[in-house]
Amino acid sequence: MNSKSFSLLNQIRTQKVLIFSLSIIAIYCLLALLTSLGVVASDYSVIKTDLSYTPPSLNYIFGTDFLGRSVFSRALKGSEVALIIGFFAATLSTLIGLTLGLVGAYFSGWIDDLVVWLYTTLESIPYILLIAGLSFAMGPGLSNLYIALGLTSWVGLCRLVRAEVYKQKKQDYVAAAESVGASDLRRILYHIIPNVYHIALIQFTLNFVYAIKVEVILSFLGLGVEPGVPSWGLMINGAKDELTRGVWWGLASATLMMFILVLAINLFVHNVSKSQKFSTHF
Amino acid sequence: MSLIVFLIFHVVGGDPAYQLAGKYASADQVQSLRQELGTDKTLFTQYFVFLGQIVSFNFGNSWQTSQSVLQMIGSAIGPTLSLSLPAFILGFLLSLFISIKSLDSKKSILRGLVPIFCLALMSVSFVAYIIFFQYFLAYKMNLFPINGWDHSLLHRWSYLFLPWIIAILVSLGPNVLLLSSLLSKEMEQDYVITARAKGLSTQRTLWHHILRNSLLPISTAVSLQIPFLITGSLLLEAFFGIPGMGSLLIEAIQSADLPVIKAITVLSTLLYVFVNLITDILYTVFDPKVIIQ
Amino acid sequence: MYLATLLFILTTLVACTPKTPSEGVHVHSLLEANIPHLDPIHSTNKYSSTINSAIFEGLFHYHYLKRPLQIEPSLAASLPEISKDKKIYRIKIKKNVFFQDDPAFANGKGRELEASDFIYSWKRLADPQNKALGWWVFDGLIVGLNQWRADLRKGKADYDTPVLGLKALDKHTLEITLNHPSHHFLHRLAMPITMVVAKEVVDKYGSKIANHPVGTGPFVLKNWIRNSKVELIKNPTYRPALYPSESSEETQGLLKDAGKTLPLADKITIHIFREYQPIWLSFLNGTLDHGVLPKENSDQLLNKEHDIREEFSKKGIRVLTQVRPDVTFISFNMEHPVLGKHKKLRQALAHALDKKTILEKFYNNRGVVAHGPIPPNINGYVAEYSNPYKFDRMKAKRLLRDAGFPNGNGLPTFEYHMPNVSTWSRQFADFVKAQWAEIGVELRLVSNTWPQFDKKLKSKDAAIFDMAWMADYPDGENFLQLYYSQNVSPGPNSANFINRSYDSLYQQSLLLPPGHKRNKLFSKMVEFINDAVPSIFLVHRVVKLPYHAWLENYNESPLIYDYHKYLTIDQGKKNEFLKKLK
Repeated sequence: MNSKSFSLLNQIRTQKVLIFSLSIIAIYCLLALLTSLGVVASDYSVIKTDLSYTPPSLNYIFGTDFLGRSVFSRALKGSEVALIIGFFAATLSTLIGLTLGLVGAYFSGWIDDLVVWLYTTLESIPYILLIAGLSFAMGPGLSNLYIALGLTSWVGLCRLVRAEVYKQKKQDYVAAAESVGASDLRRILYHIIPNVYHIALIQFTLNFVYAIKVEVILSFLGLGVEPGVPSWGLMINGAKDELTRGVWWGLASATLMMFILVLAINLFVHNVSKSQKFSTHF
Repeated sequence: MSLIVFLIFHVVGGDPAYQLAGKYASADQVQSLRQELGTDKTLFTQYFVFLGQIVSFNFGNSWQTSQSVLQMIGSAIGPTLSLSLPAFILGFLLSLFISIKSLDSKKSILRGLVPIFCLALMSVSFVAYIIFFQYFLAYKMNLFPINGWDHSLLHRWSYLFLPWIIAILVSLGPNVLLLSSLLSKEMEQDYVITARAKGLSTQRTLWHHILRNSLLPISTAVSLQIPFLITGSLLLEAFFGIPGMGSLLIEAIQSADLPVIKAITVLSTLLYVFVNLITDILYTVFDPKVIIQ
Repeated sequence: MYLATLLFILTTLVACTPKTPSEGVHVHSLLEANIPHLDPIHSTNKYSSTINSAIFEGLFHYHYLKRPLQIEPSLAASLPEISKDKKIYRIKIKKNVFFQDDPAFANGKGRELEASDFIYSWKRLADPQNKALGWWVFDGLIVGLNQWRADLRKGKADYDTPVLGLKALDKHTLEITLNHPSHHFLHRLAMPITMVVAKEVVDKYGSKIANHPVGTGPFVLKNWIRNSKVELIKNPTYRPALYPSESSEETQGLLKDAGKTLPLADKITIHIFREYQPIWLSFLNGTLDHGVLPKENSDQLLNKEHDIREEFSKKGIRVLTQVRPDVTFISFNMEHPVLGKHKKLRQALAHALDKKTILEKFYNNRGVVAHGPIPPNINGYVAEYSNPYKFDRMKAKRLLRDAGFPNGNGLPTFEYHMPNVSTWSRQFADFVKAQWAEIGVELRLVSNTWPQFDKKLKSKDAAIFDMAWMADYPDGENFLQLYYSQNVSPGPNSANFINRSYDSLYQQSLLLPPGHKRNKLFSKMVEFINDAVPSIFLVHRVVKLPYHAWLENYNESPLIYDYHKYLTIDQGKKNEFLKKLK
């Protein structure tokens, strides 16, 4: 097999995986939409104490939890929570990272120094301490959680965007545009953003996954979402004492739901970056 | 830096004066405790006290245990390092091995499967790994002790095997992906293609040229992880009863022990700066084109 | 495949790790929380009290086997001579009691205990520099001690300045004078907070004293790894003390070692845990001699009658029943603009809560539903008494309407605060939220770490919260003071309940000796609280503690913290169990 046909085959495979992972993500989005409208899993908070810890059956596919609530419904509702956390945290961090990276690199000078100072500082503080500190400062709750996550996870993007902008700045077309006298804003928007959007996309997705995973750890510290909200983190942490009594469905369902979504997103990023010939790692 | 640390952790929840006053507190008592702790002063004054502590490297005593903070950290670093360092090194070597093997492999299936396997490993929550492995391997299979610690160097290892396995498993995914991408980047270089054209086997090229040439980016990527070895793993230490920095940190967070939190943050930040400096120096040693600016 | 190989290598390595040879009787005990310091003056919780009580001793303690709890001399030679006006206590101290050997003493040999050591130890308790969590025990009680505390702060006194109410009449006689008669003074002298330390040790270790405990007790601290374990070994110079030979009916089975010299064990290792899964698993595999029973594992171990299931009893697992002198409750902050003003709203919320289900689901149906603050087996508890707050949603809705909030209309969403971040608390709060939502009252749940919760309570920032109060000493007064106006936040009256009539009843009760008359007053006070509903009382807990049959004389009980010296191991039985496991 020569290398040309090999890479073609690879490309087709990559595309298939992309479609596959995107459709899974789309299914999750649809699910989240349906749960938020109350069409699906509307019984996620219905307490039936006499049904506590019912094993999986036809009525309750994933069994029930301690308070007799359907674990299946909670796991579904959990995907809504996860998508909210992931989306807002990633959006916030992308906005901050993109803005600071662009602004810093474009204007250079003291503005750039400030940006670099800010991200090296943030980066040097262990992330769990940083998030714990912020969450303490803001108190528990869904919105506070994604704000804290967003505020602390923009460094990777900012660094990459900054480097990219520096690279682009050296290239001719910006210099050409400069001679025409385009305004600062226009120069950024028209020339540089199209060249950094793929970095932003990849970082957005990575932060999305990161937020979902960190939520589990924060729940362990009691800093996650408000109790009562069925997040996967709370479900997994709640399951830590259940396994020893043979209640495996709480842990299994939350882990499974999370696994499928995170794997789909991971596959997506991996293949996008492969086709973009761009390292996703920081 | 110090300002951010100070501001964030100043509100870390709880008022130490209330804590120290106990359940039969009176308002007088609380006030006099605040005076003694210095928490009745303005934020500005407190910040300068904190700056002084960083400069003199003296973080005072823990509010909770009244032990010297540095001493507490000193006794926690050992356990943390014996958890994180071997796991880090073994995990790294294993990742390197796997990524070389997979790149070397003639079967494209393996080359395709390894990343998917890595991505799958990365998609399970850390907490789920711990809960499951502790239950299954330590209890059900009775392969490892469930929990515990021994200070003697000889006996502590038996408690560490399972946490190591979990730590390695968790780091495997991202590390293999990272190393493969660094190595495969190098594989596309002209000299590799020439070498191959000349008829050198892939394995030889991999080991001799590519690995040597990728040393720099690999060591940079790896060194970035070093500062976090010190903070340890909150989760692993909590579940396996390892008295390291992670346990210290959780304890400090949950009892609002500000001196300890501040000291840990400052120390790991300093370590970060130090490691970055070392990496820069290494860069100039390995690659004379780079000059420290 | 590589992973499998690695796993194999690791397990072989584990198998090769040498096991330590046996070192006499070795008990493996546990605590569910870390202990920050080992200094008697700070031992205000179960965890530090337990470890301190293995190393230190006080004048009195509770008899290990007699129920209800009975005070008996520990370092005191006998019960005190009390003056007619109940203000002067003369206490003889045992002779030939020595502090544990420590470099702080001359030649490293512990010296003999004297009456003046108690005076020194209690001055330490009063010293504001020490920020003793236990100062409340003597606050306002001993003649001249508060004055000395104030003078010390101003620099006008030192440790040599005499305190009028604390006198060493001779080397072995102590005389204590109280400001007013106190019916629980002896109980206070039985609390770990008042245990004795030596001045030499405190002087030598200074601020590090909390890490160098040296007492007169049965065990010496050998090794303490924070967040991991505490190792205690038998004190070779321990005073002659014998295992009790009398017991109550329910503890008769524990007399096998009657008359033997204490401590029975040579070594105690107290393992410290942060998570329940490892505790339970370590107990089942025999690493721990006794354990705790998480609510999740209760059904696994016990049947509906709370007896141990056969499969476990066959393995030699037993359970100890512990009636806790405590009460769990949900309190309202009476200074809250809405909650504090509307008694009917609070009553409605009390009616809307299904306490039976709470008992069943959250406490595995062990214990009793609480109708007031005072728990069973404590002076002032009336088993027949029941408060009006039966679970009745219709009535709750009616009351809510009468309060001016039909179906909850017009009410804000209240913040409900949890005292910790545990799964249990979360589930409990979820349950309360769902129950109150049924009548239209909405909650926003807030989880807190303990310091955050503590701060919110003491600064009156929590609208509604749940907590538990465990007796400091076995008397109903300890529960009724939770609603005394002098004790409002930052004191223990976290509901900030202020009521003149209640206060005067409370003050009257302080003057009465224990007995029928005082109990009647207590009942009146309980009714008073129930009418005003600053708190909804939930459960008086009964706890089941699992242990292995090879752990002998195990009788861990509330307020008895010095139980480790009575424990011993049947090594044969233990080896058999471990062999079967393999």
